[in-house]
Amino acid sequence: MSEDGSSSEETNTPTTSVSQDTSTAETTAITTSAFNIHPETPSSSSSFNTHLAIQSLSSILTTVSPSLLSQDQDPAFYLLHNPDISSQVSSLLRLPDSGAGDNNLCRWFYDTFQSSEPQLQLVVLRFLPIIAGLYLSRVALKKPLAGFEAVLLAIYAHETTSRAGQAVTVNVPDLSYPSIYHESKRPPKDNDAADLNLAVISPSLEPHGTVRSTRRARIVGVALELYYSKIYLMPVGSKIDFCEFCKVWSGQEGHELQDDEDNVEFQDNQGNADKESVITEGRIALPWELLQPVSRILGHCLLGPTRDEELIGSASAACRSLYSRSLHDINPHAILATRSLLRLSKMALDPKNNVDHTEIPMSDVISL
Amino acid sequence: MLGSQSSDSIEYEDQTPSREVWANGVCMKTSEVEAKLDEGNIQEAESSLREGLSLNFEEARALLGRLEYQRGNVEAALHVFDGIDLPAAIQRLQPSFSEKQPSRKGRSRGDSQHAVSQHAASLVLEAIYLKAKSLQKLGRLNDAAHECKRVLDAVEKIFHQGIPDVQVDNRLQDTVCQAVELLPELWKQAGCYHEAMSAYRRALLSQWNLGDDNCSRIQKAFAVFLMHSGVEAGPPSLAAQVDGSYVPKHNLEEAILLLMILVRKFYLGKIVWDPSILEHLTFALSLCGQTSVLAKELEEIMPGVFHRVDRWNTLALCYSTVGQNKAALNLLRKSLHKHEQPDDLTALLLAAKICSEDSHLAAEGVGYAQRAISNAQGRNEHLKGVAIRMLGLCSGKQATISPSDFERSRLQSEALKSLDAAMSLEKNNPDLLFELGMLYAEQRNLNTALRYAKRFIDATGGSLLKGWRLLALILSAQHRFSEAEVLKRKSFGPLRSVSQVGGDGVNEYEVWHGLADLYSRLSHWKDMEVCLGKAKELKPYSAEVLYTEGVMLQGRGQAEEAMSAYITALLVDPSFVPCKILIGALLSKRDSNALPVARSILSDALKMEPTSRMAWYYLGIIHRVDGRIADAADCFQAASMLEEFDPIENFSSIL
Repeated sequence: MSEDGSSSEETNTPTTSVSQDTSTAETTAITTSAFNIHPETPSSSSSFNTHLAIQSLSSILTTVSPSLLSQDQDPAFYLLHNPDISSQVSSLLRLPDSGAGDNNLCRWFYDTFQSSEPQLQLVVLRFLPIIAGLYLSRVALKKPLAGFEAVLLAIYAHETTSRAGQAVTVNVPDLSYPSIYHESKRPPKDNDAADLNLAVISPSLEPHGTVRSTRRARIVGVALELYYSKIYLMPVGSKIDFCEFCKVWSGQEGHELQDDEDNVEFQDNQGNADKESVITEGRIALPWELLQPVSRILGHCLLGPTRDEELIGSASAACRSLYSRSLHDINPHAILATRSLLRLSKMALDPKNNVDHTEIPMSDVISL
Repeated sequence: MLGSQSSDSIEYEDQTPSREVWANGVCMKTSEVEAKLDEGNIQEAESSLREGLSLNFEEARALLGRLEYQRGNVEAALHVFDGIDLPAAIQRLQPSFSEKQPSRKGRSRGDSQHAVSQHAASLVLEAIYLKAKSLQKLGRLNDAAHECKRVLDAVEKIFHQGIPDVQVDNRLQDTVCQAVELLPELWKQAGCYHEAMSAYRRALLSQWNLGDDNCSRIQKAFAVFLMHSGVEAGPPSLAAQVDGSYVPKHNLEEAILLLMILVRKFYLGKIVWDPSILEHLTFALSLCGQTSVLAKELEEIMPGVFHRVDRWNTLALCYSTVGQNKAALNLLRKSLHKHEQPDDLTALLLAAKICSEDSHLAAEGVGYAQRAISNAQGRNEHLKGVAIRMLGLCSGKQATISPSDFERSRLQSEALKSLDAAMSLEKNNPDLLFELGMLYAEQRNLNTALRYAKRFIDATGGSLLKGWRLLALILSAQHRFSEAEVLKRKSFGPLRSVSQVGGDGVNEYEVWHGLADLYSRLSHWKDMEVCLGKAKELKPYSAEVLYTEGVMLQGRGQAEEAMSAYITALLVDPSFVPCKILIGALLSKRDSNALPVARSILSDALKMEPTSRMAWYYLGIIHRVDGRIADAADCFQAASMLEEFDPIENFSSIL
């Protein structure tokens, strides 16, 4: 299937000029326009934008005919959920130089996201796991990455604008004061009271025009925060892609398991990623600003309302790898988070915890 | 109560039916009715029930429906229930209740009527509930949710003031509780997440007179849904917001609130222990970095709920996460005691890591690391490299306070050996490159250190600030100041954005102070003052800042002011070596009376930090003034040897 993408890839002269120098991370000029996002687009242009996006995508993907526009379905929905398109885009993305600044597909992702069409932005986010996954894993390999960076910066800029740069905080409740869910003898306190237990879960955002190496994790982390906020709209395949990259990022195989079957599965999956021996090369530093959104996404995959078996298997393997990694790093914060996820996913599978309490008592004697 | 019985339900399929129905004091075997049902003859089954038990049409249908449901014939049950005009039945129930509530007269008659009406209500509501359950089992989740919602709507219509605590029919209450619990579940299964959110809130914020277990299950399920559904619930309706009470403003807050309430219910003995609640809370609180709150929750849990060693170890993780390593280590010492669990690998590694960061604990850490190495077997074999690495770090740290040269070099070479060995096991761990770089830098083997620092930056793609800091310090040690400054600016960004630096173990204060230090080396007093001011805002009582301020004052020729800054710094931290050296230096320039004091303070400094070039230099000056030329020469020689390898900041300042 990778042959399909080769024709478009040939137009792509490998650019060493924009190759990643770690001390001077740079991106192409297109990123400068990343901050001029116009959130409201007239709805009449919505289908036009979608049409345009599909046309330009079909010129990149060889086997997708523009005829898909005649589908009864919402074309943006089709783009998001069609497995053929997903697998073609995925294999193009996984080509060795796919992250270059002049890569057609990256440009398509960038333009499509900039269209500010929420449905089309979802299509871009659908592939964020692969883009972010490859990007972070390739940084140390000195491959051209300006194309990936442009897409990531566009997503980061979008989140910065929609959040107005504000931090996201959590006010940890104090049960000695009453809340909507419980009563307390103490009088209600002033909501302005200063003794709030305030925690920042995502610090304030400032605009970035380029990816500075020390901000890289934060930029990708914020993009993942946006992904998480739309995750219930994402197809399962996208979430599985994400779980696969978590394993690669961790650089560990999930050792902490009772049975070893998942290791076998893991080996199989390596087959797709052929040339890059990802398990050793893809390992990245996992600071909390990255690990936090990662944990939230994995939490959704493991414990969210869609109980998809393949996804749960993939997510628990990812979780085991990250737990193993947190032990290697002796990182207490990461140990706590990943260990509780692992324990919870195990408990969720235990039939003892899955008694249906909404079933009526069955008895031989039925009385009126 | 319900759960234990429902789990047996499947067995009924195989047994010969021995069911019986009771009504109006009469008992009747169901075998005959069931036979009729099997023939598809609902009407006949119904009439034989009506005759046998003297029931009306609705009662007979409700019984039949339940019988079919229990027999697992959900489709047939649905068919039977469809025969009842449920909306009409609900309609009939309403006036009898709403008229009843306010009137207090004619009590005895009212009560009996009340009971009859409740009984009728119970019958109708149970029928709708079972209809919803049947639809659920047939996979018609949306329809099921709508039926289930009708139960709740009907209850709200019938009981305007909420369900009364007393005098309520048990069976009616059971049905209501089950419907309250089922509704959000159905919406969730149907993929209607926003409806599920409001169903949960409706369950928890209205008066349903739920039992403790029932309510707790809903609270837990809602907390999990809030945490993991990925759908933002939005704020609760204004009606639910009692004046002044805490209102969560997003999912995570609401989930944490619910989980904390659940933990408290357990303390109060209202519910049995459910370990998953604590795990959910652990996950939620670690997401927002509030592990100290988690520690408080853990400490309040009664002994015996879970093993004390588990509690200590988890507490240690909580404290260590928020930097309270002393508290963490004390707990780990308890759990690693020979009568507890001395072989727990995670605890050993964490203890070793904490010890590796403090030179006075390093020797203790060596012990933990060695125990970790011998326990890294079998399933934990993969952690051997980590344990060896910890051994290296602890030995290296131990070397820094070693009193004898011989001992120091022995420990240093051991540290190198361990780190090299760890490297062969942990090939893909760049942290080792950094640590080797640090170790070489501390030994003043700057070229090797530089090589490792560069490799570390390459391997991490330059994403970790500490790599750049190490590189900058090594370059400054090689007196390549301009390169070092470029690096610092590059890695920290322009001055204004320094506040964005965070996480990664380097805080804003350290960055400002590092820059102030760098400028002081370059004698850029003005830049230095700016940086120092920023650092001082963040940490007004820090020995480091006071020291740097002294350096600046001294640089500007204000020796007395500088001296008082140094002395204040020493009062803050009596073991702060750089101050001792500069006090010694200032004293050595005064009259000869001050020389003995200067000498002892410098010797003191050298005991703590034998590689201090400046201490050796000033000690040499004092010896020369006192006429001990040979001693002076030795000191100067030591100073000049060390000068070649002196970074602008101590290397250990990185960690």
